[in-house]
Amino acid sequence: MENKNPLSPHIQIYKWHISSLVSIATRITGIINILSITLICMWFASLLFGESNYEITNLFLQSFFGKFIAVGITWSFSFQMLSEIRHLIMDLGYGFEIKTTNITGIIVIIFSFILTILIYLLGRQIIL
Amino acid sequence: MVQINLPQNSKIEKGEYYKDKTGSKNIRKVNIYRWDPSTNQNPRLDTYEVDMDNCPSKVLDLLNKIKNEIDPSIAYRRSCAHGVCGSCAMNMDGKNGLACTKPHSEIKGDINIYPLPHLKVQKDLIGDLNNLYKQYHSIEPWLKNSKKNDNKENLQSIEDRSKLDGLYECIMCACCSTSCPSYWWNGDKYLGPAVLLQAYRWIIDSRDEDRKERLQKVADELKLYRCHTILNCTNACPKGLNPAKAIAEIKKMLATT
Repeated sequence: MENKNPLSPHIQIYKWHISSLVSIATRITGIINILSITLICMWFASLLFGESNYEITNLFLQSFFGKFIAVGITWSFSFQMLSEIRHLIMDLGYGFEIKTTNITGIIVIIFSFILTILIYLLGRQIIL
Repeated sequence: MVQINLPQNSKIEKGEYYKDKTGSKNIRKVNIYRWDPSTNQNPRLDTYEVDMDNCPSKVLDLLNKIKNEIDPSIAYRRSCAHGVCGSCAMNMDGKNGLACTKPHSEIKGDINIYPLPHLKVQKDLIGDLNNLYKQYHSIEPWLKNSKKNDNKENLQSIEDRSKLDGLYECIMCACCSTSCPSYWWNGDKYLGPAVLLQAYRWIIDSRDEDRKERLQKVADELKLYRCHTILNCTNACPKGLNPAKAIAEIKKMLATT
């Protein structure tokens, strides 16, 4: 017989922790990265069909919206990379204490932004 | 499957408001999830004004006070009141824990009390844990040893015994399993942190002879690897144990042996 009792509330009431936030963000950035890699590949493929295609993409990336997307993707990649390094360390069995996970989680969040800025500055040849 | 929204019959409605009758100046509002199986109504959130001047320190004391003095119809599990039996596990202030060890002074603002998340509610704060108990049974949580030394103790070195520290203390209150989003979405297949911690407790026991079979049994895409190190379990455990680390140790053993 199917249990028709109500289901107790879950994600609606549960408080977020740093570790759960980093975990869900890792999953979301993973999906964004797959989509953006696909788009980048399509962009490269379109270059085979001549200069006009290059012009269109270039125009888009020069716009404010295009720049916003480019920087967003850079952050998504940075976050994913750092978070996966954190997960690799966890796979070795380290860093499971609450204090440590909170610290590594905050490090991942802060350094993802720092890395984004560094990549931006490198890309614009402002540094190096 | 991931289902973010609650089903139609589980949507929480506004409940009754019990105004303070003592005239106390130190009042706190307590919101409690209520559901009565004898009616066809949806669950509701009742609000109680409680006189905090005459209330002991823990959330369970608060519930007892409401049940004794304001509304005797409220249902919740409790037994030892000392954090040993695990009966009064519930969701307080958005975090799972034992009502008998959680001080209400740690909660800011209104005190919100819900049953353990993503369970079929039986009444008010009582959730149905049968699925978890079945899963616990499936890992065969007993010693498997063929040696017949009837009149002797089963000896263990100090080092081997210390491997059980942080595992044997588990009281199976289900705070960890019901805090885990993976367990919410795949609770029928994924074993969840509580059961996996118990599985590891028997895998790592030097007196047990069934280590290989036990490892093989949990080595499953859904049973074990649905753990994505969200770490809600470790954050929730009222005994300060670390189920996430136990799960990681099982994964490590499977990868290295």
